[in-house]
Amino acid sequence: MRFLRAFTRNPKAATGAVLLAAFVVLALFPGLFAHDSPTAELYQRNLGPSAQHLFGTTGLGQDIFAQAVYGTQQVLIIAFGAGLASTVIAAAIGVAAAYLGGFWDAILSLFTDVVLVIPLFPLLIVIAAYVHNSGTTVMIAVLTFTGWSYTARQLRSQALSLRNRDFLAAAKVRGERARYVIVVEILPTMISLLVAAFLTNALYDVLFASSLQFIGLGDPNSTSWGTMLYWAQNNEALQAGYYLQAIVPGACIALLGASFALLNYAFDEIGNPALRPVRRRRQRALLVRRLSRA
Amino acid sequence: MRFVLRRAGFFLLTLWAAVTLNFFLPRMMPGNPAVAMVAKFRGRVTGQELASLETLFGVNSGQSLPVQYVHYIGDIATGNFGTSLFYFPSPVIDVVRGAVFWTLGLFGVATILAFILGTGVGIVAAWRRGGLVDSIAPPVLVITSAIPYFWVGMMFILIFGLKLQWLPWSGGADLTATPGWNPAYVGSVLEHAVLPGLALLITAIGTWTLTMRNNMVTTLAEDYVRMARAKGLKSTRIMLDYAARNAILPNLTGFAMSLGFVVGGAILIEYVFNYPGVGYMLLQAVENEDYPLMQALFLLITVAVLVAILLADIATAIFDPRTRSSE
Amino acid sequence: MRRLIVTGAAALLAAAVAACGSSAPSTSGASANGPSGTLTISNEQGTLWNCSFNPFNPSNLGEGITMGQVYEPLAFVDTLENGKATPWLATSWAWSDSNKVLTFTIRQGVKFNDGTPMTAADVAFTFNLMKKYPTLDVNSVWSVLSSVVQQGDNVAFTFKAPAVPYFYYIADQVPIVPEHVWSKISNPVTYADANPVGTGAYMVQPCTSQNITYVANTHYWQPGEPKIAKVLYPAFTSNDPANTYLSTGQAQWGSQFIPNIQAVYSSKSANNHYWFPPIANVSLIPNLTVAGLSDVHVRQAIAYAIDRNKVANIGEYGEEPGANQSDIDVPTFSAWLDSSAAAQYNYGYDPAKAKQILVQDGYKLGSNGIFAKNGQQLSFSVINIGGYSDWVASMSVIQQQLKAVGIAITPDNLASNDFLSRLYNGNYQLAYYAQTGGPTPYYEFRQWLYSANSAPIGKQASSDWERYSNPSTDQLLNSYAVTTDSATQHQIVDQLQQVVLSDVPYIPVTEEVGWFQYNTASFTGWPSPSDPYAVPAAYAYPDMGQVLLHLAPKS
Repeated sequence: MRFLRAFTRNPKAATGAVLLAAFVVLALFPGLFAHDSPTAELYQRNLGPSAQHLFGTTGLGQDIFAQAVYGTQQVLIIAFGAGLASTVIAAAIGVAAAYLGGFWDAILSLFTDVVLVIPLFPLLIVIAAYVHNSGTTVMIAVLTFTGWSYTARQLRSQALSLRNRDFLAAAKVRGERARYVIVVEILPTMISLLVAAFLTNALYDVLFASSLQFIGLGDPNSTSWGTMLYWAQNNEALQAGYYLQAIVPGACIALLGASFALLNYAFDEIGNPALRPVRRRRQRALLVRRLSRA
Repeated sequence: MRFVLRRAGFFLLTLWAAVTLNFFLPRMMPGNPAVAMVAKFRGRVTGQELASLETLFGVNSGQSLPVQYVHYIGDIATGNFGTSLFYFPSPVIDVVRGAVFWTLGLFGVATILAFILGTGVGIVAAWRRGGLVDSIAPPVLVITSAIPYFWVGMMFILIFGLKLQWLPWSGGADLTATPGWNPAYVGSVLEHAVLPGLALLITAIGTWTLTMRNNMVTTLAEDYVRMARAKGLKSTRIMLDYAARNAILPNLTGFAMSLGFVVGGAILIEYVFNYPGVGYMLLQAVENEDYPLMQALFLLITVAVLVAILLADIATAIFDPRTRSSE
Repeated sequence: MRRLIVTGAAALLAAAVAACGSSAPSTSGASANGPSGTLTISNEQGTLWNCSFNPFNPSNLGEGITMGQVYEPLAFVDTLENGKATPWLATSWAWSDSNKVLTFTIRQGVKFNDGTPMTAADVAFTFNLMKKYPTLDVNSVWSVLSSVVQQGDNVAFTFKAPAVPYFYYIADQVPIVPEHVWSKISNPVTYADANPVGTGAYMVQPCTSQNITYVANTHYWQPGEPKIAKVLYPAFTSNDPANTYLSTGQAQWGSQFIPNIQAVYSSKSANNHYWFPPIANVSLIPNLTVAGLSDVHVRQAIAYAIDRNKVANIGEYGEEPGANQSDIDVPTFSAWLDSSAAAQYNYGYDPAKAKQILVQDGYKLGSNGIFAKNGQQLSFSVINIGGYSDWVASMSVIQQQLKAVGIAITPDNLASNDFLSRLYNGNYQLAYYAQTGGPTPYYEFRQWLYSANSAPIGKQASSDWERYSNPSTDQLLNSYAVTTDSATQHQIVDQLQQVVLSDVPYIPVTEEVGWFQYNTASFTGWPSPSDPYAVPAAYAYPDMGQVLLHLAPKS
């Protein structure tokens, strides 16, 4: 509860949450906002913004606004899907490593570290190149398979610090099994870190998925922001002066990403009070109070 | 010393993992795309070269998997990555050589600059909590870290390349200029490096500034910093010698982890600016289905990242006695 | 992502470049003091140069870097002038022995660029080298030849059976290489040929991975040629810089697909022009062994359902014209078009008629909006090359138009290796691709319809991928091959059009064009609709050699 209050009072968290909520609404009810079908190539090509077409039309004669709205669905599915999946795997491996300790910890940590240092994007490119024309499911699978290691490390550290706490010792003394302890005792205390891990994963999934689609390794017939950029590139939109074709999808990605990043940042601050923003005049008072407590 | 050895051991392990991954990737892919690709080579390469290709991709090999693996390791160790399909009949190793120079130049310089600048800004931001830098920098950087790298590049092209026409925005140098250490060519190279370099700088800087700032803030709360302040040491001295020096260490490790992401950014920026580096060549290889080249580039990039991380670890060992003694 | 580069098509198209030699049109500004000026080409290949100029390597050919300007063939066949053949390294030729022997008289006084004279011996050597190393024989001329023998200044080609259309592959598509160089090469297949010794107007000096510089060949056999001293051919790795070079005038000869060409190119300067002559057809290919597509009425319905002009407008930015069901490129081969036959069937955009045909054939519209008969739904998958974004865009338009008449197609975008292997093996339902064509419509028809080119499902077919097989059509094609009489040829092509109109073995959608942009500020002598002396694309070989011989700096 204290956490929730801290959350709502934090301006970054609030902004991030509002943005995210806006996108979720767009994804759930696209028809309410966009009156055109995103794929119908009915209109004249490369029109500028107007009353009928808020952002104009693409090189193929589709309505940009409709595409942006309907494109939200795919992006959010990938972000939430892959984000969730990677977090689950990261939690499983990170916490297991911390809790089991010793040999298993060494093995799992080593495995995590090895996967961690292998550069993610080139690996994604190679896999996507072989699989070719990755649809949403393939994209999620590939992103999950490659993305869990970063947050696994963080979760393991956190779990390690919790390992020797009293309430866990109590549970052990009670005779609870390892699985119970992990799921019922450890995980709930790590909620904030798990959420932060999810947000980190979601952010990078959005960026990587859009990047793969932009360079043509996604499904060019699908409706998503990354493919909008792919077609804008093909249309040489920037050179021809049709700027919105490139600006709109990029801005959408940036806004969604920013919402994840802001929320993540806010979580960081809430979790670590030292990071919270302080106003100048309060700094001296803080220092005095700290010194006096020393 | 033990620390260095341990890190070197880790490096070798990850190197082996990367090489093995490279071995298995084409074999794991659905539809075995390598088969069609190797078929294209038939009749155009000598028996020996064909055998190497088949080993690299596990095609038509009557040999068992372990035997293939041994041959593969041998080939990799001798620098034999096969023949490029698109640049036929050039061997892959020759094709790659040209691109490495460009990437090292652009990416290397930009990354180091980004790290230095980012760390610097992070230090200042943390030191003057609530100051101008601290209020502006973190939120701005949070947002910039969320912008896709290629989009930053595209916006740069739009503003500085197309609209203002200040700088060239495509290629490594003017194609019709004669390569060499002549002023025309060197000038052209520098000119072409500005926009992609800046784009890379901006995208990379965000990550390190934020982590540095957060580390600094945590460090500043430490006792020894308070002690230094109580002793009346000069602000700058405390900031740099006490706080920053300790805060930078986790940042160095963070550098290693985020290097992977920066590499991704570099690939995209090279793509958007048609900069003829390793990342651009990788994407070209993908587009041309030139699998031997693609695999070799992937391995090269991975190994480069591993080496960078190893160097960062060694640097940490040098600067942080704690790691040395904790073993 | 990149625009398609139909290197194969270019190959055939480029085949027929008339030798300018004796009939070179006089161009203004030809300097009496020797060649001058520097021309820059913009033809994006997506790769850096590997500086290999081996003229038998299909990759090198498709880039337009070797055949035509460095190496020359015996004659030039111009696709844009209905296959008119003019002398090049041969001064004349004649068929004899009921078209079973073709004798060329080789030009005297020609030197290779190292000063050595070129003789009939080099010609015979070249062809026999191709016989010894079949990989060099890209067009399989030895499948119809039985011997190539030098007879003094002549070279006699003896055929196993008459194959008149092979004149094009023999005379226009084979580069004549020097015996004194190539006889010493141990493996001509992998020979890089970094310093090519040819008879052509230009020599390579030097080649770097970024740029090829051609300089005028001082030993060139045509007096006063070439008129341009230097030609630069930079290696563009993507379209953007290539298009920018053209729009800023840094490059004067382009072979680019430029989307929004008005906004990006033409509007930038009054000297920027373009012309796109059609040379082949991009078609929707039905696998005739697949249920539903084996029914001619279904194929006819598809032919009426597609608005070809709209596809061309959206998918190709209006830079390619819509094709016609007669499979005759208009205006390039207009002289061959049987307009009365075309009018009789009248395959235009007529969705109502498409539906009518289906209904009359017993198909019923299901609740899902798809026609079905006897449980067989008209729902198919269509394979396409994912990397050709304009084809992907075209296919989405086709998809919508077919949906409107109750036929559902689902695009399956593949990597080109994958696509080609499935196309050749017949492992598809519908496909979207083009044949390479040739200097007359016969070549394209033969590629589509000749059953010997085909193969059973599961085996590779070199062309005729739809598995069309009709003995009387084969006979038609064979009868064309034995005659040199123009009237007979036209008659046969008329009948071939009837076949395509009535049987609809494939559905041409857009006409593949030669991409050509040119800047008239500093150079003159460009091909044009009024003077189509060669296919003007820089990737067309050996046509691009002809273009370079016609161009001159403006004085």
